[in-house]
Amino acid sequence: MPAVQETIDRVRKIDVDQYKYGFQTEIEMDKAPKGLSEDIIRFISAKKDEPDWMLEWRLGAYRRWLTLEEPTWARVHYPKIDFQDIYYYAAPKSTPGPKSLSEVDPELIKVYEKLGIPLKEQEILAGVQKPAVADEEAEIGDNVYKSGRVAVDAVFDSVSVVTTFKEELAKAGVIFCSISEAIREHPELVKKYLGSVVPTSDNFYATLNSAVFTDGSFVFVPKGVRCPMELSTYFRINEKNTGQFERTLIIAEEGAYVSYLEGCTAPQRDENQLHAAVVELIALDDAEIKYSTVQNWYPGDAEGKGGIYNFVTKRGDCRGDRSKISWTQVETGSAITWKYPSCILRGDDSSGEFYSIAVSNGYQQVDSGTKMIHLGKNTSSRVISKGIAAGFSQNTYRGQVSAHRKATNARNFTNCDSLLIGDQCGAHTVPYMEAKNATAKFEHEATTSKISEDQKFYVMQRGIPEEEAIALIVNGFVKDVIQQLPMEFAVEAQKLIGISLEGSVG
Amino acid sequence: MNMHAQPQRTLAETALIDAFGERLSQLPGDGAVMVKRDDAIEAIKNGLPTRRVESWHYTDLRRLLTSVPAFEAGAVAKALAPVLEGSAVLPVLNGVSQTKLPEVEGVTVQRLSEKLTDGSVAPGLDPYGDDDAIGALNTAFVADGYFVDIAGGVELEKPIEFQNLQAGGQSHVRLLARIGAGAKAIIVERQAGEASEDGEALVSSVSQLVVGDGAQVTWLIVQEQQDTATHLAQFKAHIGKDAKLTVFVMNAGGKLVRQEVVVRTTGEGADFKLRGINLLAGDTHTDTTMVLDHAVPHTTSTEVIRNVVTGKARGVFQGRINVHQYAQKTNAKMACNTLLLSDDGEFSTKPELEIFADDVVCGHGATVTEIDHNHLFYLMARGIDEKSARGLLVKAFVAEVIEELDDEALVEALEERLDGWFSTHG
Repeated sequence: MPAVQETIDRVRKIDVDQYKYGFQTEIEMDKAPKGLSEDIIRFISAKKDEPDWMLEWRLGAYRRWLTLEEPTWARVHYPKIDFQDIYYYAAPKSTPGPKSLSEVDPELIKVYEKLGIPLKEQEILAGVQKPAVADEEAEIGDNVYKSGRVAVDAVFDSVSVVTTFKEELAKAGVIFCSISEAIREHPELVKKYLGSVVPTSDNFYATLNSAVFTDGSFVFVPKGVRCPMELSTYFRINEKNTGQFERTLIIAEEGAYVSYLEGCTAPQRDENQLHAAVVELIALDDAEIKYSTVQNWYPGDAEGKGGIYNFVTKRGDCRGDRSKISWTQVETGSAITWKYPSCILRGDDSSGEFYSIAVSNGYQQVDSGTKMIHLGKNTSSRVISKGIAAGFSQNTYRGQVSAHRKATNARNFTNCDSLLIGDQCGAHTVPYMEAKNATAKFEHEATTSKISEDQKFYVMQRGIPEEEAIALIVNGFVKDVIQQLPMEFAVEAQKLIGISLEGSVG
Repeated sequence: MNMHAQPQRTLAETALIDAFGERLSQLPGDGAVMVKRDDAIEAIKNGLPTRRVESWHYTDLRRLLTSVPAFEAGAVAKALAPVLEGSAVLPVLNGVSQTKLPEVEGVTVQRLSEKLTDGSVAPGLDPYGDDDAIGALNTAFVADGYFVDIAGGVELEKPIEFQNLQAGGQSHVRLLARIGAGAKAIIVERQAGEASEDGEALVSSVSQLVVGDGAQVTWLIVQEQQDTATHLAQFKAHIGKDAKLTVFVMNAGGKLVRQEVVVRTTGEGADFKLRGINLLAGDTHTDTTMVLDHAVPHTTSTEVIRNVVTGKARGVFQGRINVHQYAQKTNAKMACNTLLLSDDGEFSTKPELEIFADDVVCGHGATVTEIDHNHLFYLMARGIDEKSARGLLVKAFVAEVIEELDDEALVEALEERLDGWFSTHG
């Protein structure tokens, strides 16, 4: 917005380095030596008490990874990563029993309290159904209670420390535990589904993840069950130089439904951190999976130094007829985001959705989008992407929609809009559309613009100050996506967008 | 070009490299030109681009170019009747420009072989990037073509039609055109061939255009190659201050076709329009790739591409609009619509926006669909049989783009070509 020089100045001055969640918790860590080799993988596998087949699976992936090259096609630039200079295993030493929060290291509880996460497990566990607190945060908590409950599988650097609500979920027949536990206790399910959506040979980072993943969540919703509560994982990168390699596997059997929330914060530090997660979703006949993410990892300081590298492979497989997978994401953090949550629409009449808000500021680089692969008959997909670029950031939407030969009546609608705030940032759109079936109907539209002076004038003319006017317009811009988020996330997401664009949109 | 060293050369790569060795002594050019040729063949030695090269993602030239014909094949005897009656025709027959040319007031025409020999065109021979395989191929082998200079202020009454004709074999041709300030012209670039005994043809054709300040140019590319021909073409233009350039591309032939349109606005107030029709049939591959740079403030562009895919044809449209940081107040819009009429056909499109300036309005839209059943019903309910109704709708879909050209003679001539295609492929 050339007309409002102050706004630009303010955006430049934004204290990206005053990262709200920038603190470091001092907890003793149990670490493997730096670097990656077959021995390290054996070490991780042994630490996790894994069966032999799992070790072989990891080693197979590692051997494959050695033959792969790091991809360079994304519009992101960063110094070369030295994969031998990373710790691949770090576990909090005082791992408590997963049954009760009271056994958890109080330091950990403090971390969650500092995060102000909208999860009040302590109270819920203590039988508090509705806390009598009147502060602002409680209101968010309130929503959690009103909308039912939230079960948390908290990941603290690589190991699942606490798994709550297990019993209640067990009553419904839902399995919600760490992936390590699932490998030990439900090997038949893990063996059947792990790597069936993102194979070990999929891409450079997914293959690395397959070799070294240390933890993540496992969800299994059996036939006909509607998961009684929203499931949630809070990721947190803590120990210096520890890359996080989570593996999440969610399976919804015939007619099942599950909504999963993922949210992230990370402490402030100088060195870049690598995060290469893999998320696999499998929906069988008539099943529905809703996966929501709010990501606000450390984006780097005002000079673009530090910050998280987020190279994630997320893919959902609508394996059954009439199945549905919906991805919703709010991306405000990370120095570099490389993330394309995708849907393979294999079952007839299946549908996929992708709703995304990507906000970049400072020197952030975002290259994100989705893939909708139409294989079955009468499949439909919908993509709504809103990119907001400010400061010196680069924000790219990269998406693919394809209909294969037999995908009759495939239907896609894609809309990606970009908003530019300041003249030093860039917004890019790279959609790929591939139709191999005459009955396919694909529509794609994209626009890039700044907030128009007319819009701003209209709002300000009604007595609303400039900053608030911009905030109002931006809120309207992202409304379509915010509406898709579960209530408690929607509140956090709106706050985050505000913080991310502080100075320009209030 | 492909950045990775190829382990083994394909037959086509080997044939091109060998042909260069054999042709070298006959290729015109002074020292500077020959250095450019050497650089260009080096690029080809590194391998033709594969789908791993982003700009060739949908046209894997290394895989698709399976063979390269020998240089001489059949011979085209004479030029075709021009698309627009009364045009001054500049024919290149079998890769060779002609000496006897029509005289047009205010226009200087020279044979490109002369300009290559004296080296005056050497600076323009560089490919525009590492992935510019067509530029490299053409620079290595270009032997002839024309240099057309339209003086400032000249308003041409009749169009100029450049014809590139051959019958099988290889030809590598270049057309350079300079339009003086305030001049007005319609230029037709005709790409066609005759069937020859061994059928195959490989044509590379590069057109380079500089539109002077305030000039107005309409450039029509009519490509009707034989369905055995590989046609690799490039159109490059710079548009000056307050100048207008309209490029119309009609692809209605060829076996393997790639038409690149590379345009840069260099003066404020420049306006660019691209209108394209791709009529695809048979077992063919046709790629239209546009790279548009809005390099200065206050420039506008619109692009409309319509595609009809039948048979086993594969179509590609890639369109990238780059808005440079300095290019504030850019207004750019692009649309690509495809009618996919066959289950064996396919169409891939990649409309890209790369935007570094904030005070801009840019948008693109793309659709792929079959004929709207409601439209079909509407016509059939009025007693029109299904085949005719379909024909009407498909023709209307592409004719819309032609009708936008506000020149009656032009619209009529192009619709005639359209009818010709529909009568053989309808």
